[in-house]
Amino acid sequence: MELNIPRTNATPEIRWDSASGTLAITGESYPENSFDFYEPVLEWLRHSLPTLARLRLEVSVSYMNSSSIKCMLDILDAMGEAHAAGAAVEAVWSYETDNPRALDLAEEFRSEVLFPFVVNPVGG
Amino acid sequence: MTPDQLSRIREEITREGVMICFNGTFVHSIIEELGNALRRYLQEQEEQKSAALDVFSVYIEQAQNIRNYLARKKFTDATSASAIIVIARRGERYVVSSGNVVDGEDQAALTAQLEQVRSADAAELRKLFKEKLRSGTRDPAGGAGMGLIEVARRCAEPLQYAFHPVEGGRSFFCLTAVI
Repeated sequence: MELNIPRTNATPEIRWDSASGTLAITGESYPENSFDFYEPVLEWLRHSLPTLARLRLEVSVSYMNSSSIKCMLDILDAMGEAHAAGAAVEAVWSYETDNPRALDLAEEFRSEVLFPFVVNPVGG
Repeated sequence: MTPDQLSRIREEITREGVMICFNGTFVHSIIEELGNALRRYLQEQEEQKSAALDVFSVYIEQAQNIRNYLARKKFTDATSASAIIVIARRGERYVVSSGNVVDGEDQAALTAQLEQVRSADAAELRKLFKEKLRSGTRDPAGGAGMGLIEVARRCAEPLQYAFHPVEGGRSFFCLTAVI
């Protein structure tokens, strides 16, 4: 099942690459309605995760509003369930080193999950 | 508007260090465009990327809070359906002030929430944020009930607020965040 949401000013690009098993979220996230925006992603996860042996989530989002943070946690929770069921899931969360808030956020997410979660500094 | 009135408004805006001021209907496209303009200003003025992002974040949370509230309330009169937001620079600080009409019945809950974040220190705000994150609050307009906590986390001073009574048992709710 494909997933390819193009980037806009207030919403990130969300793209599934089946060849590498990577779900990439890139850009900024402050949609008009975060729950509506992320619903297709959660729907895709609910549909696809049971059929996947592995999934790598790559997040590179420089700004997220509070409701997007909640939706991101829903994504991580869905991955956590797959992890508990035996799937090889992992997350790589990139943040720019000149943005300490982004590191805080990455650490907060990392403390919420039980699967491998790499916080990846990128020279800003 | 007469030239005199225009001059007075311009003088006041200049004196207060106002970067952006908008009064009207908060729709997403306007919130986004004002945000883009704010970022351009901040890029020119602010060396610290994290400080600029704090100001942007406070603006987005305040503006989206208002948009979500007004979308939920569906006030029909033009004055209640519109709101104001002002972003100003004061010395080394930035000030984001917003004002919108709230229903009398919502004032107590809003006050309780404001007092809770005002009295919380950084560690308590972090805890509150985590609790809200897990609480499952979702309003159909898009709110997650975390906006005020997120604003408070990025502020240098406790949030200031006031309610001014207006007609129909409603109040004009003013919120000021200093970053």
